[in-house]
Amino acid sequence: MRGTYRLVAAVVLLAPSAAQAHLIDSRLGDFYGGVLHPLTAFEEILPWLALAALAAFQGAARARWLVLVFPLSLLAGCALSQLLNPSFIPGITLALVAITGLAVAAAVRLPLPGLLGLAAVMGLVHGLQNGRAMTATTDQLLFIAGVTSIGYGVITIAMGGAIVFLRGAGGWRPIALRASGSWVAAVGIMVLGLQFLTPGNN
Amino acid sequence: MKTTPISSSLPIATLLMLIPLTSALAHTGTGVATGLQSGFLHPITGFDHLVAMVAVGLWGAQLGNPAIWMLPITFPLVMALGGLLGVSGVALPLTEPVVALSGIALGLLIALQVRLPLIVAMLVVGVFAVFHGYAHGRELPEAADPLAYAVGFVVATGLLHLCGIVIGLLITWPIGARAVRACGAAIGCVGGYFLLASLGVIQ
Repeated sequence: MRGTYRLVAAVVLLAPSAAQAHLIDSRLGDFYGGVLHPLTAFEEILPWLALAALAAFQGAARARWLVLVFPLSLLAGCALSQLLNPSFIPGITLALVAITGLAVAAAVRLPLPGLLGLAAVMGLVHGLQNGRAMTATTDQLLFIAGVTSIGYGVITIAMGGAIVFLRGAGGWRPIALRASGSWVAAVGIMVLGLQFLTPGNN
Repeated sequence: MKTTPISSSLPIATLLMLIPLTSALAHTGTGVATGLQSGFLHPITGFDHLVAMVAVGLWGAQLGNPAIWMLPITFPLVMALGGLLGVSGVALPLTEPVVALSGIALGLLIALQVRLPLIVAMLVVGVFAVFHGYAHGRELPEAADPLAYAVGFVVATGLLHLCGIVIGLLITWPIGARAVRACGAAIGCVGGYFLLASLGVIQ
């Protein structure tokens, strides 16, 4: 009988149950929650990469400013997210995908204030959006530090990579970068259209 | 009545209990992953779309600079406009026959090595891009994650263009140029099949 009880106990312990979802916030801590949050959203990572490519087209001397401006804008946006809650954020986020994509596709030459202004607006808007993910139990300092760090990391690496890529031999390189910009723009245009054309989304 | 001893019924009970009755719930990324996957597979699993996209790259390569890069950059943008039509629910007639026709037309242009002026080439490709975008865009509002779906199908389309361009680079060798023309002829045939199928001639 003793063996039977053991078997019953083993069966109960081994009984399969449903696998629940992994929530990045609950598993990895608030700093990593902040790091992963922008990476899991296409509407943020796509314009980040497009902004990096756009900056690379302006040359290293101008692009370098973004290393400072973009993460600081993200930081400011996150910090303001607890005070401001504008309703137009999702619309602007999708518009930024289309705008940066089109700018890369056209390889637009921007004056430095224009480039920095675009980076600052994107940083603020994405900061506001990411900051909303913080709940009452989130350690805000850690979360915001995570968002700012990943913003710094992605923009620096992507921009550096794009600048090195453009310096290589072959006239196809800027074209390849512009083609990828047109992909981002196409996605942005369609999803922005979906946002405004579909009833119930506004 | 003979009772079954508990020792022999236990293994069966164990087996039955180990069969999961509940479904495994997915990770939180499912919406994004499913949207991305369905979007990515949409142009690839539709063979008529696939050959037409490869044809755009092939034709661009055949036309040389600047068409080789103008066509793949303008195509996604014009396709996005077609996608907007699809999203907005506008009824665009004859989508499937025109998509099939794009395969025939582009295949013929490649097979016959027709050299059109750049602006005309862009117009031809642009008109077809609207219909391709419309076909994908119609599915967008129903997608698990519309943004991921859009990313998936735009990336798949772009990569198919790239396939066409890479195959098209064969034209630097005389035998390769013939192979590219043969590819064009094959694409035209596939387009012809799909045109007949869309018109109900072939079941």
